[in-house]
Parts: sequence; structure tokens; C-alpha cells
Amino acid sequence: MDKTTIICRCEEINCEEIEEAIGHDARTFDDIKRLTRCGMGPCQAKICISLVADVIHEQTGSHLHEIPLPRMRMPISPIKLETLATNSTTFSSVKSVMDEVELEEGKVR
Amino acid sequence: MVMETDVLIIGAGPAGLAAAYETASRGLDVTIVDESISKGGQLCQQTQILRTLPSPFLAMRGYELANTLINQLDEFSVRYLLGHRMIGTYKDGSIGITDETNVFPVNPKKIIVATGAAEKAVPFPKWTLPGVITVGAAQTLVNRDFVTPGKNAVIIGSSDFAMDVAIQLSDVGVNIIGIVESLPKILARDAEKTEHIMQRSIPLYLRSSIKEARGNGEVEEIDIQFPDRIMTEKVDLVCVDGGRTPILDAFYQLGCSFGFQEELGGWLPQYNEFLQTDCKDVFLAGNAAGISSQGALLITGRIPGVRVCEELNIISKQEAEHERASHWKELENLEAKLFPEKWEARLNHIKNYANPLLKDQFIS
Ligand SMILES: Cc1cc2nc3c(=O)[nH]c(=O)nc-3n(C[C@H](O)[C@H](O)[C@H](O)COP(=O)(O)OP(=O)(O)OC[C@H]3O[C@@H](n4cnc5c(N)ncnc54)[C@H](O)[C@@H]3O)c2cc1C
Ligand code: FES
Repeated sequence: MDKTTIICRCEEINCEEIEEAIGHDARTFDDIKRLTRCGMGPCQAKICISLVADVIHEQTGSHLHEIPLPRMRMPISPIKLETLATNSTTFSSVKSVMDEVELEEGKVR
Repeated sequence: MVMETDVLIIGAGPAGLAAAYETASRGLDVTIVDESISKGGQLCQQTQILRTLPSPFLAMRGYELANTLINQLDEFSVRYLLGHRMIGTYKDGSIGITDETNVFPVNPKKIIVATGAAEKAVPFPKWTLPGVITVGAAQTLVNRDFVTPGKNAVIIGSSDFAMDVAIQLSDVGVNIIGIVESLPKILARDAEKTEHIMQRSIPLYLRSSIKEARGNGEVEEIDIQFPDRIMTEKVDLVCVDGGRTPILDAFYQLGCSFGFQEELGGWLPQYNEFLQTDCKDVFLAGNAAGISSQGALLITGRIPGVRVCEELNIISKQEAEHERASHWKELENLEAKLFPEKWEARLNHIKNYANPLLKDQFIS
């Protein structure tokens, strides 16, 4: 693939940058994401997920079924924080977003 | 406030609606969530005639099928949450739904996820220029929004879907400069579509691919690479067909395992012959369970519907088994004949149920 081809359009990461990450031993989508921000844009990897897998496949020879899915976090699609915070005691039990927060009797400590 | 329901269906496309019919017509309380404000999913913009539908449906156009599926639910107890999205799950397992103002939990006895498929991008230099869109986007603009997306178009890909869209674009006056296919043969299985294309004198370029697009702020020109030469064309619309892949976010949030079947679109949730994932109360239907034809998709909505009724003691084991056998027979009729490789992949996928490639992804 031409090195200048954009792979992640949200974060404007091109093929060369993905290949460079693979050169640093990145083997999964999440590895590449941590090194380049690829997949961290508004679409949350919905567009670049398959393109990145193709580049990993091309560069490393791994089969597509050996390249795991990226971690898909809450929220599934973008949402206003104000909306997400509806009734904040319930909100604090939402998985993943608030997991790192310690809870005490339903309230954030 | 927690909303309780027997069956929560995510997605009001053909598969979700078919699952709703199976469950609601037997008296279950069914809730359907869809982020769109209308029902019918991706069927709404499909104007081509669908010929291989399961009984009792006769051949009809996509949007007519959508209306049929919607109307047959009229007399039953179905709660529609349109303009609502599933955004995640709560710790206690209830589903987080938003109406864009609030997020609230829904606590269903059973969930059927029918989130459909996403189109894949096709990368080449400058593919992000405005004017480069997917075939599905072009179809949506023309048939749903009544907007002509360009005057001079090139289509990248020759699947049945790409051919349909080429015909639909040409019908509204878009000049199709050519259909570009990298393989030495047309991919469309329906020979009639290729004939339509020929009749319209739309050139079919085999063994060719798009080399790059150029333009200032929008696509103006593309280079098509042939084995022996490059052809440059002036265009304002490039429609790419990169194939489709199941939409998996909801399954990931629910903690389902995944397997891989190239013929069914790549990664997909692991499921058994009941279209049940390895999370006991989570089922799936439609393109989310593997990319297939419209007829097959409807049956993949019926199968989990029957199982849900059985597990909730609405129908007997015997009746369920009878229904299931006839649905699988019909699925085989529709899928094995037209897309034998998909049918085989589906059977393989089910065989792998106990050995998913990815599991326990959601460590939280
Ligand atoms: C733009 C486009 C055009 C297509 N055109 C064709 C065609 O011409 N021919 C063909 O054979 N196939 C076509 N397809 C494939 C399409 O997937 C199938 O035709 C069919 O509609 C799939 O049915 P389904 O019920 O599985 O999913 P869909 O019809 O896609 O329905 C899924 C529904 O789930 C909803 N949804 C998804 N996630 C969430 C969430 N988190 N919360 C709430 N709601 C959610 C969506 O809004 C959607 O309405 C097209 C696909 C796309 C994307
Ligand atoms: S294209 Fe990569 S995050 Fe959107």
C-alpha cells in the first residue's frame, strides 16, 4: 500500500505511521492505538479497524483471525457527558467508564 | 427507574423485526430499540427487488419488505424506542439506553442483538476527499434522502450490491464512467444485474484498481490502474464497495465471545444452533450473525425468536423443535444454494461454539 494512504481518517494517521508502530513490535490494534492514537477519534475505530488489520496482515503475515479485535469501550457511540451523567448515583455503576472510581454506598468517594 | 420487558431487541432492521414477530405474536412483551427515528433498518433505502425471500413473502422491493415486516407487528404488544441507542451495560447487567437527554436502564429477560453490518472502507491515496463514499451511502442518499451525490461517478467493486447501486445511480441520471474490479471476473452472482449494466453501456473494467484520487477540497480526478496502463478520469463521485462486517460493539459490552469466519464478514459473535451467544440470555440475528442475503437474514431472526419463546415457556419444547427444524431447512434452502460458502462457514462457526478464538474480552 502507498505509504501516504490515510488509515485512520479521524486522527489522520497514515500507512507509514502504522508500519512504524509495527516495526516497534505492535501486533494488535490496541498496540498500534497506544503508540499512534489510531482508533481514538470520534468514530472510535469503526472505520479504521479493518484497514489496520489489513496492514498488520500485510506487514507481519499474521492471519486476520490471529489479529484480535480492539477493546470496545463504553459508550458504544459518542454521547454528551451531561446525558451520560443522568441521575449520577446510577451513573456511577456504569461499567468501564466509572470502574476506576471507588464507590461507597453508591456515591463516589 | 428500571424498565422491565420480556424481550429487548437492539435494532429494528429486518432481522430485529422478524425476531419481534416470532416473540410478540406469541404474547411476549417486546421492546425494540433503534437509534434511527424510523423502523426498517437498512432495508428502507433498498429499491431493488428481493427475489429469494422465505415464505410467506413473495418477491418484493426492499422498502416494501420493510413495510410488510413493520405492519405485521401492528396488532401485537411491541414497545418501540426509536431515536434511542444502546450505549453500554450497567454492572448489574441491565442495558444502558439513551434518548439523548437521559440514560436509563432496561432489564429484559432476554436480549436479541440485531445491530446489522457496517461497510468497510477501501484505502487508496486521498480516499478521504469529499466525494469518495461507500456504495451504501450513495444508495441512502439517492433512495432515502432524494439527493443525487454527483454527476460523474466511478464504482469500485462488482458485487451484487455494487451493481444494484450502479443501476440505481444511473436511473437518477448519474453518469457511471465505469465499474472497476480488481479480479479477472465480475463478482455479482445475479447475471441479470450484469446484463442491466451492459444494456446501459456502462464499462466494466476487470483486473483494474483505483491507484489514487486527486482534487482540491473534493475529488476531481482518479487514476485507474490496469496491468499495462493507467487511465485518468474526471469524476465528482467515487463509490467504493469494501464489503461488510458485523457490528460488534453491543456484543463486546455484553461479554460475548467471538470467532472468525471470513465468508461471513470476519469477526462475529460465537453462537450455537439457537443463534444464542455464550452469554445465556443474549441472542443475535441478521447481519450481526454473519453477512448473508436478505432471505437468510429474516430466518436468522426467527430462530432466536423461537428459542426465546421456548426458554420463557411460551411454547413447548416439542413445538420449538418442530419450528426450529423447519427454519433451519429453509435457511439451508436459501443460503446453501446461492451462497454455499456462507452456509458452510455458518455450520463451521456453530461447530466452534465451545472453542471461541476470543473470550473474556471485557475484563472490568
Ligand atoms: C447503507 C447500507 C446499504 C445497504 N444496502 C444493501 C443492499 O442494497 N442489498 C443488500 O443485500 N444489503 C444491503 N445492505 C446490508 C444490510 O445490512 C442488509 O440489507 C440488512 O438490512 C441487514 O439487516 P439487519 O436487520 O441485520 O440490520 P440493519 O438493517 O442494519 O438494522 C440494524 C439496526 O440496528 C440499529 N442499531 C445498531 N446499533 C444500535 C445501537 N447500539 N442502539 C440502537 N440501535 C442500533 C441500526 O440503527 C439499524 O436500524 C446495506 C447496508 C448498509 C449499511
Ligand atoms: S478512523 Fe480511526 S478512529 Fe475513526
